[in-house]
Formats: sequence, structure tokens, C-alpha cells
Amino acid sequence: MATRHDRKVSILDVMGPVMVGPSSSHTAGTARLGRVAREILDEDPVEVRFILHPPLAATYRGHGSDFALVGGSIGLNVDDPRIPEAIRIAEQMGVEIVFTEEDLGDVHPNTVRIEIRGKSREAEITGSSIGGGVIEVFNLNGFQTRFKGDSPTLLLFYRDRPGMISEVTRIIAEEGINIASLYCSRKQRGKDAFMQIDVDSPLGHEALARICAVGDVAEAKYLDRIP
Amino acid sequence: MIESFKQLEELGRDRDLADVFLETDEQEHGIAKADILLALTRRRAVMRDCVERGKGGGLSMGKLVGDEAKKLNEAFLAGKTFLDPLTVKAELYALSVMGENSRMGVIVAAPTAGAGGVVPGMLLALEEERNIDPEKTVRALVVAGGIGSIIALSANISGAAGGCQNEVGVASSMGAAAVAYMMDGSTRQSIQAAALALKNTLGLVCDPVGGLVEVPCVKRNALFAVHGLTAAQLALAGVESVIPMDEVVEAMVRIGRALPRGLKETAEGGLATTATGCAIGSRLKDEANQRRADRAAERERLAQERKASTH
Repeated sequence: MATRHDRKVSILDVMGPVMVGPSSSHTAGTARLGRVAREILDEDPVEVRFILHPPLAATYRGHGSDFALVGGSIGLNVDDPRIPEAIRIAEQMGVEIVFTEEDLGDVHPNTVRIEIRGKSREAEITGSSIGGGVIEVFNLNGFQTRFKGDSPTLLLFYRDRPGMISEVTRIIAEEGINIASLYCSRKQRGKDAFMQIDVDSPLGHEALARICAVGDVAEAKYLDRIP
Repeated sequence: MIESFKQLEELGRDRDLADVFLETDEQEHGIAKADILLALTRRRAVMRDCVERGKGGGLSMGKLVGDEAKKLNEAFLAGKTFLDPLTVKAELYALSVMGENSRMGVIVAAPTAGAGGVVPGMLLALEEERNIDPEKTVRALVVAGGIGSIIALSANISGAAGGCQNEVGVASSMGAAAVAYMMDGSTRQSIQAAALALKNTLGLVCDPVGGLVEVPCVKRNALFAVHGLTAAQLALAGVESVIPMDEVVEAMVRIGRALPRGLKETAEGGLATTATGCAIGSRLKDEANQRRADRAAERERLAQERKASTH
């Protein structure tokens, strides 16, 4: 039997989360996916499009995934009792919500692509809710990634060039912070690139400012653990 | 990191199983033991609240379930139940939690929401009936979570991935190990309890009527809470599974892959496509369409209001 080390989950992941019912994969996990999109956008959304993989499209409504996805995308946590009212709240906020269906390929049944747009920017993620509230985001603004939202994470968008990884990781090391995992991908050599750094302890404002100041960094985003 | 139940048995020989899991989790995930125990103390309290709220019953979102816990509670209080109190309470508490879940109440996913009644049903009933210190129940939740985390290394804990064996089956397996622990069983007995419980849920499909976590989920949690208790009883008496736990999990993964898509949470097979299941499914679809239409009207009304206020 193959043991998949990327499936490591903690006791608290298994015996949890504390959440609004009725389904951890359809309510808690999807709320967290919505929340990831909201955190990456980092401003109030104006429009959110949820593109559902067919098995999820067949089941999402009965399980309250629509409330949960929308709730997460407007910043509600999985244990927020307002989740059942999320769609109404979003409408009152003036957020345009669209649900559509599309075959997203050879992926977990509960997979969704979220296209979220605010006043000044937009973001896009594709991820799966794999059960028990655990998520895996594998595409972020067009870059391959492996984001689970279970630790503090630095997301870095930059122009691909030699030395970038060492410059960034040096700053993190100087802050005395341990890196748990690092993942890089790029669209083309020497062009747009992306780095995801999961860290063991929170990254301060100062460290983030120093990383933003590194040459060729387009954007640095720091996400806390997604509750 | 503990990669298999074989390894767990070696690590946990003559040791407190909760301590083994707490140490491993602290190393792996950097969460201090005290913080894990604190979080689980709160989660036990959420489970307890669920049980109290749920006993009163109330109609579910899909209106398919609602008064199961209330009925059993009334029969129990009136002295009209024939099973022993531990068994009745395990059923009752599982039904209560699942009732709350079906009304979009706040619950603990253990390991999932749809299987969230099994573990609290077993553990809270045992705690009450055998006067076990709640702190021991919290440590038993560590054991349950630890067992689940090893299963999760090779299996997706979701009905969509492998059917209900991956949810209620896994929950009863986790709960059985935790019950053996609460009854002062050895590490080996906990693992055996987990294996016996899981083995006898293999092949259980996920075929929810109308796609809701209501039928058969709510009552199934009650029945499999009892199933887990009986597995723990056998293990504590020294009965062992011929097939080791690691291989039972392997079998579960293979069976889950072999199950057709229609029996993995899609509501396109099994109970969901019986005559009654289909009738309920189409009624739910009609109601959902009505709600969508109502929401569109509401949106329109709000837009008109905004327009009027800008003039």
C-alpha cells in the first residue's frame, strides 16, 4: 500500500473541524476553498464564479455547498452560524454569484475552480475538498501549486531569474523562521514565476516588506492558516 | 511519523496510546500536546452541546428526518427500551448529533460531518454509563484522531472517494479503538478493535437520497455506533482480526476504487434511485428551483430599491 506523505493530517484535522453541517467535504472543505480565494484576492469581492466539476455539480446543492462556497468567498469561517444565510448576505453586499459546471479533468470528484473579482484585482484558484474539511489547491492564478491552507504560507509572484529562491529564503532564515516546504513553478523560463513557502511560525510585517523589496518580485502575499 | 498500524503497535507496546499520538503530532505538526488536548476538550464540549440540543429533534433542511432522537429519548425516559442503557445512549447521542448536522447546526466533523455522530455517540454514552473522567474521553478523542490520521495516509476520508465505508466505516473504526482505550485495553486491542469494526463495514456504499446527508446517514450513524461498541467488546475479550488492520485499509481503498461512481455520493444509485428515493429527489429539485426563483425576485427587488434610493 502506497503511503502518501502529502496526505499527512493532524489529529485535530481528523477530529474536526468544528463546523456548520451537513457535510465536511461539501460544507467545511468548500467553505475553506472559498475562503482561500477571498484571502488571495485580499479585498471585498464584486463577482465570484464557481465552476464545478460534474460530480460536485450533481451534489452541491443538497449538501449546502452553495452556501458554503459563497460563505467562504465573503470571508466566513467554517463554524460561522451565518453560513446558511451566506447567499443572502452576499446579495446584500452586492456580490454577483455565478455557478456553472465544467469537466475539470482527472481530478478528485469534489473539485471547483473559483474565479473571484474585486474592485481593483482578480484571482483564480482550482482545488479539491478531499474529505473531513481537508483541501488541496493545485492551481493558483494559473500557476501549479500544492496549497492546503494548514500552515502559514508565503505566496510569491515574481520574474523567473537565478538567485531568487536563495534571496527570499535568506530573509526568512534571518527572521529565525523555519521553512516546512517550498514549491516553485513558472509559466515560461525567465518569465512569470510563482513560489509557495510554507513556514512553521508566523511571518511578520517587516519580513514581508523586505521580501517585497527584493528585485523582480511582483507581489508577495502572506496567508495565515485557513481556519 | 507513524506510517502504518504495524509500526503503531511496536511504538505503542506497553505505552499509553494517547501519549504516543500526542508526541508524534507535536513533532509532525508543531502543535504542542497541551494545545491539542485543549482543542479537543472544547470539541468534546461541542459534541456534548450537540447531544443536548439534538435530543429535542426538529425538522432537517431537506425535511426527510427530524424526530428520531426525540422518539428514542422519550422511549428511553419512559422505560420502554429493551436494550441496555449504554447501547440505547450510543444510538441516541449519535442520532442527536446527526439531527443537529442535518439542520446546519454547529457540529464536530469526526472524521466527517456525515459520519459525525458515531464517535460522540460511542464515547459520550460510555463516559456517562461507566462514570469515566471526561479527561479520559478527551484522550480517547486523541486516539480516535490518531487512528484516523493513519488511515488518511492511504485513503481519502470521503464518501465521494470510496463510499460510506470511508466515512461511517472509518468513524466506527476510530471509535472502536477509542472505546478499547477508555476501557483500559492495550494498544494491540485498540488496533484490533479498529480492524474488526472497519472490516465489517467494507463495501458500504454512499447513496444519499436526494444527495442530502439525511437518508440513510442519520440512522446509519446510530447503528454503526453500536457496531463499533461490539467490535471493541470482541477485541477487549481477546478476539482478533485474521486480516491485519493495514491490509483491511488496503482492501477498503481497493473496494472504494471498484465501486461505481453512482454509489459514491452522487445520488445516482442505490437508495437514491429507488422509487421513493427518486420521488423525493425530484421534489427536492423542484423546491430548489423555487428557492432560486425566489432569490432572483429578491435580487430584482433589491436592485429596484437601490435604483429608487439613488434618484
